[in-house]
Amino acid sequence: MSPSRTSWRIVLVHTITFKQARQWVPVVLGIGALRGLTDGPWAVVALVAGITAVSLATAVLAWWRTTYADGGTSVVVTRGLLSRSVRTVPLDRVRGVEVEAPPLHRLFGLVRVRVDAAAGAVQGADEELVVDGLPRAEADRLRAHLLARRSAPTPEAPAEPVEQELFRFDDRWLLYAPLVGSYLAVPLAAVGALLRLADELPRRWRPDLGRPDLTDTAVVAGALVAVVVVLVVGSVVGSAVVNWRFRLTRRGGSLVAVRGLVTRRHTELEVDRIRGCTVSEGLGMRWVRAARATALVTGLGDAARRGQLLPLGPRDQAWSVTRLLVEDPGPLRAHPPAARRRRLVRSCAPGVVLVLAGAVLTATAGWWWVPAAGVVLAGLGVPLGLGRYADLGHVAGPRSFSLRSGWLVREQVVLQRRAVVGWQVQQSFFQRRQGVATVVAAVGAGAGGYQALDIGAADVAPFAEAASGPWAGALAR
Amino acid sequence: MHPDPARSPAWTPSRDAIGLWAVEGAVGTLVLALVVTGLEVFLPLPTWLAVLLPALVMAEGVVAIGVRPRLRYRVHRWEVTAEAVYTRTGWLSRTWTLVPVTRIQTVDVTRGALQQLFGLASVAVLTASSQGTVRIPHLDAEVAARVAEDLAHRAELVRDEAT
Repeated sequence: MSPSRTSWRIVLVHTITFKQARQWVPVVLGIGALRGLTDGPWAVVALVAGITAVSLATAVLAWWRTTYADGGTSVVVTRGLLSRSVRTVPLDRVRGVEVEAPPLHRLFGLVRVRVDAAAGAVQGADEELVVDGLPRAEADRLRAHLLARRSAPTPEAPAEPVEQELFRFDDRWLLYAPLVGSYLAVPLAAVGALLRLADELPRRWRPDLGRPDLTDTAVVAGALVAVVVVLVVGSVVGSAVVNWRFRLTRRGGSLVAVRGLVTRRHTELEVDRIRGCTVSEGLGMRWVRAARATALVTGLGDAARRGQLLPLGPRDQAWSVTRLLVEDPGPLRAHPPAARRRRLVRSCAPGVVLVLAGAVLTATAGWWWVPAAGVVLAGLGVPLGLGRYADLGHVAGPRSFSLRSGWLVREQVVLQRRAVVGWQVQQSFFQRRQGVATVVAAVGAGAGGYQALDIGAADVAPFAEAASGPWAGALAR
Repeated sequence: MHPDPARSPAWTPSRDAIGLWAVEGAVGTLVLALVVTGLEVFLPLPTWLAVLLPALVMAEGVVAIGVRPRLRYRVHRWEVTAEAVYTRTGWLSRTWTLVPVTRIQTVDVTRGALQQLFGLASVAVLTASSQGTVRIPHLDAEVAARVAEDLAHRAELVRDEAT
């Protein structure tokens, strides 16, 4: 196929956003600062007009010099004003195609296509191929073409893939957001930015509020209520912006997730590359039986965001979507008593150390409150250790296996047998004395490895063999 | 005593590995000794610390040169079977790693400066997972080259999707 250009309307988008001209702004500002803007308002108008002209010119040049071509075996993107860059990605390396529509793009009827071609060796921005500014229909054609080779082996007439909606995001699920750490961070970051801005305002524009009276209970209580309201509303709004109208559908051999209020994102995952799922529940989420589900996909860049199957919702929903993709291996088995002992020792140790150090300090300096704090800390360690032990679990089913750990964020991973690319068994000196070991399943997706902490030494080889295949029997004989 | 969680692989690394580990330990101890000497000369240390630090360096030297290399040699084992690569490494803590030949992506042979002095080489077998890497340290250089070639060849023959 001959190379084609993106839509000319992208020039307008890039002119407005100064996409290419951004690097010139410091130069222009520098010139302005040197000359000093003393010539009155006309100089400012001329400057603005000049910058816009530069932006328009660079946007036109960039558009004119950028072409893409999707052939039968690869996709080629050529760009660059002076130094040309040609990036070729073979179609069989394409792991996923994401179509996103930022607000300004939507105004002009355009979208941005990101082709994820995880090459393994290259990391970061190089992993992606971006074609910015395609009309919607052309983007859909390109995506279909890039992902078409999956259905290629069947010689029959390519039937229109059936679309089946798995679920829609229920707006009520947004109410879970205040209990999730990452969403709570949104209003905090916003307030922080606002305070910094207020700090930079000239003094005469700042309202004189006087000093708040901190001894007045009503003032303190009012401030606390205001903080809580800001946190709750901010986190709900933050999660709404990202997850608005989240919809997961199955189309042929792939899963399609659409989400977002301001920027609509359209992510496509190949079901064939999914090796498993994680269901994670933070401390606050467990309280209201909420969870999030993420797919583990081989060779997927930015997997934590793109792999999301359920960004936030009821635990039952997270499990039902997980079971669609991976067979349920059955109820988890508890770890041996030695594991509980080890969790308790770990969580109480800081408190015990503080008590011992405090005993010395009480004798020498009379700091009785140091050992007292140690006793409290050690006491808190008991429920923490028991909780961490209760969250441990592992099980191997006929076609899948599952591991669970974590307390602050409890994460259960369910993996297909074929996901395992290797096993690692770790045993420290103390684990050896207590007859337990940590088993890590190496997986070419997600975090790269998932561990079963402190399982009985005699269970290691049988578990590995049951969870992956006869080859793992080499651990035993 | 509890049973081991996994059996030991069959083969040992080259015996010269003990010498190499001892040299590494000696270099590490030397660096520590230099740091401690610097501290003693330039800082007014209390007497108990001025005595304790050199004693600790001496103890580290004894462990790093005399004890650790031998313990390591007893723990380190490796094995290549028809289906998998299997190793055990460590000295106080131990790590067993098992990777099937079907999932091998790359096989590397490395020879560090010290290794060349002892005529040794290490083999690293890489998979799609960062945690699924098998390292077989300190083999005889010819053995390492032969193992790597054999593994790379077999991986090419049987490779399925490898992820």
